[in-house]
Amino acid sequence: MRIPLRRLGVYFVAFLFAIIVNFTLPRLMPGSPVDSMIAQLGPRATPAAIEAIKARFGAVQQPIWLQFVDYLKGLATFDLGVSVKYYPQTVTQVLARSAGWTALLVSCAIIFSLCVGVSLGAVAAWRRGGRFDAFVSPFSVVLIAIPPVIIALATLFTFGVTLRWFPVGYAYNPDLDPGFNLTFLGSVFWHAIMPVLTLSPYMIGEFQTTMRSSMISVLGEDYVTMGRAKGLSETAVMFSYAARNAMLPVLTNLALMLGAVFGGSIVTEIVFNYPGLGLTLFTASVARDYPVIQGQLLLMTLATLGANLLVDIVYGIVDPRIREERA
Amino acid sequence: MRFGLQLLFRQKKAVAGFIIIATLALMAMFAPILAPNDPAARVGRSHQPPTVSHYFGTTKMGRDVYSQFVWGARPSLAVGFATGLAITAIGTVIGLIAGYFGGRIDGTLDLATNAVLVIPNIPLLILLASFAGTVGPLAIMTIIALTSWPWGARMTRAQTMALRNREFITAARMVGEPSWRIIFVEILPNLVPLIGINIVGSIIYAIVAQTTLEYLGFGDPLNVTWGTMLYNAQNSSAIIVGAWWDIGAPALGIALVGLGLALLNFTFDEIANPQLRSGPALSRWLRLTRLRKSELEAAR
Amino acid sequence: MSGPLLQVRDLSVDYLIDKGAFRAVKNVSFDIGRSELFGLAGESGCGKSTIAYAITRLAKAPAWVAGGEILFDGQDLLKLTEVAMQKVRWSRIGMVFQSAMNSLNPLMRVEDQFHDVLRRHNGFTREQSRARAEAMFKLVGVPVNRLRDYPHQFSGGMRQRIVIAICLALEPALIIMDEPTTALDVVVQREILEQVIDLQRSLGFSVLFITHDLHLMSQLCNRIGVMLKGELVEVGDVKQVSQAPKHEYTRKLWASIPQLPARAREAV
Repeated sequence: MRIPLRRLGVYFVAFLFAIIVNFTLPRLMPGSPVDSMIAQLGPRATPAAIEAIKARFGAVQQPIWLQFVDYLKGLATFDLGVSVKYYPQTVTQVLARSAGWTALLVSCAIIFSLCVGVSLGAVAAWRRGGRFDAFVSPFSVVLIAIPPVIIALATLFTFGVTLRWFPVGYAYNPDLDPGFNLTFLGSVFWHAIMPVLTLSPYMIGEFQTTMRSSMISVLGEDYVTMGRAKGLSETAVMFSYAARNAMLPVLTNLALMLGAVFGGSIVTEIVFNYPGLGLTLFTASVARDYPVIQGQLLLMTLATLGANLLVDIVYGIVDPRIREERA
Repeated sequence: MRFGLQLLFRQKKAVAGFIIIATLALMAMFAPILAPNDPAARVGRSHQPPTVSHYFGTTKMGRDVYSQFVWGARPSLAVGFATGLAITAIGTVIGLIAGYFGGRIDGTLDLATNAVLVIPNIPLLILLASFAGTVGPLAIMTIIALTSWPWGARMTRAQTMALRNREFITAARMVGEPSWRIIFVEILPNLVPLIGINIVGSIIYAIVAQTTLEYLGFGDPLNVTWGTMLYNAQNSSAIIVGAWWDIGAPALGIALVGLGLALLNFTFDEIANPQLRSGPALSRWLRLTRLRKSELEAAR
Repeated sequence: MSGPLLQVRDLSVDYLIDKGAFRAVKNVSFDIGRSELFGLAGESGCGKSTIAYAITRLAKAPAWVAGGEILFDGQDLLKLTEVAMQKVRWSRIGMVFQSAMNSLNPLMRVEDQFHDVLRRHNGFTREQSRARAEAMFKLVGVPVNRLRDYPHQFSGGMRQRIVIAICLALEPALIIMDEPTTALDVVVQREILEQVIDLQRSLGFSVLFITHDLHLMSQLCNRIGVMLKGELVEVGDVKQVSQAPKHEYTRKLWASIPQLPARAREAV
């Protein structure tokens, strides 16, 4: 593997941290989470189920380290526990249903924002001080500062409720049956537009800002001057010499932003009633379905780590200097 | 430092940003005068649009949105700013220690920083908040501060390391200055522009996180803040019903704070990174260049 | 074709500042003949690099050409459109920058950096570019099998040779060298300069050689110009300028070159 050990170490520690938080939190508040979950189960509370909950959340006499070992063993077999709200479905089942939708939303939003943000940043830097730059760049900084909640609500209200251009909820028209046909996919696309457009402004703002600063630095480098001295067209210099090199810090920025993107997706899904992990998390937290909440944290942490790893790999492919270092 | 302040105030964007924030802060401070009635009192019929007697209309429960807006500014702004400062403080201290002392201390701190950085914040916050139950502003502040310091710590560490290798620090160490003095008297003043960016960015983040948590229902519903106003409006289906003022007022407040901070941020960035500055000379150069270009084309 | 290759007439370049402008190059005029090595000397900030960039119209903000003519083969470069200028660049006038360390695009293989310029000006295919690149590498002494490597994999001296190789690929009539060896150690400096002289003799291009190293220049160039604070204070044949300088500043420059003590000089 080309990724340095150090980086993998960071990911491992982060994951460990999430696991430890999951393990210790319920044990810090003895009684109440367990009680509330048992109460939630109501008539479905068989003795076996109660025992399982108590064991998972530490209301037992076992020494702590043994509990931790059991917990780890469970994780290794993907046993995240049983949902309280959707009993007897397991947490894994509940999460698996919604993970796909969140993945769709987040990946579309990232790709869209990357294209738009990077282009805007490159043009703003190339025509620095001009009218485009004077307007777009401060606007991008503003986009970063506005909470996704506000953007979601504003979008929903303007385009969904008032103008009625887009549907106000769900991943697809509930009357349709899922399938690989044009009608269904079309409906999925149509329903995804507003959520994706809500997730994008923050990312577009970040990418534009980062790309612009990066590009301004790169434009001062000798190899860009040499590119122009070679008589290459302005477009060729801007793309092959300037933008290509300026993209590298943007990739790093993307990796740092992933956590925030998942956060934004949670709120977006809630506002648009989109059946992804965010909505699941929300309903779980309202219902105090702790197994699902915990499972969610682990899943999202894993997803963020995975995405970070992916960006590391891509960076290693794109920058030949890093390829050397790791070989 | 003084040059920085001068530069700050010559920029129109910074002035605009400052005015926005100052106006909102003043509004919050003078709440008892601007909105003398109890914001929690029921004063009208449910979901009334804005009128002369109720500038921002009423909520579903018949409460005056304007009063809530003015009073809600207090905790929203106060917690946001305080949390932002806390995040910056934690991040700066950790970054300084890691960057200055290096070695194993740095190794451990850096590992911890990067690890916490990678964990998605909002799910973690939701987890912590749901175990803690409904929480007041202080708890929210603590939770947010404890999970979002890494970003600032990384920047501070990088800058500290760069400064540490400069000659004036080496000189100070050779003369025998104690470490704490070097850190606070020599290095820290050089970090001020960075800390400026850090503060503004952290406040922005804190307000986003706070609003999100309260919107999701983790705030104290009895406490009137802009975030809980959103939560209540959402729960009373304000959007579907068409009561735009119910959602609009707090949304506007939050958006304005974001706007003001962003304008300040842009300028702090330019102070810290002179490469990004576009002065009048550059604009003139661009204009002249464009002019010449079109003249040459025309002469062909 | 007769007449000088390059004629700079009354060139003035300003640096735009917040209020007004600072004139960095004041009414400079000089000629460079065909197959001639012309050196431009002066201290830092005297404007020599500014002139170099102005000739190819690569002056970056806030540098602004305020007046004058730059006649290349009789054509005023300052009156060309950007597209026409792009045709002149590299194919007729090449440039070698101060630190080749940074002149090569770090993300492109070296052979691609030949290919893009050869395709642009001559419409070469990849095979044709590779053939020309191999020939150029042989000319400057870089192993041919390293064409597919990236710039960071070469040493500083090698990189400078590669830049010179790319520069010669289109056989330009004039090569502008801005402090081409200042960033290298003395031995490598010598090797590369000797190579450039050899190439100049065999290929016949002119060189505008910009440096603050007067001694080096006097050994290499046919004619020299001396600049002081934006003005060209003396210009002429290298023997005349070094042995019988007309301007006070030129005299001071020559005098400032440290001399070996008499005994050591005899031994050398």
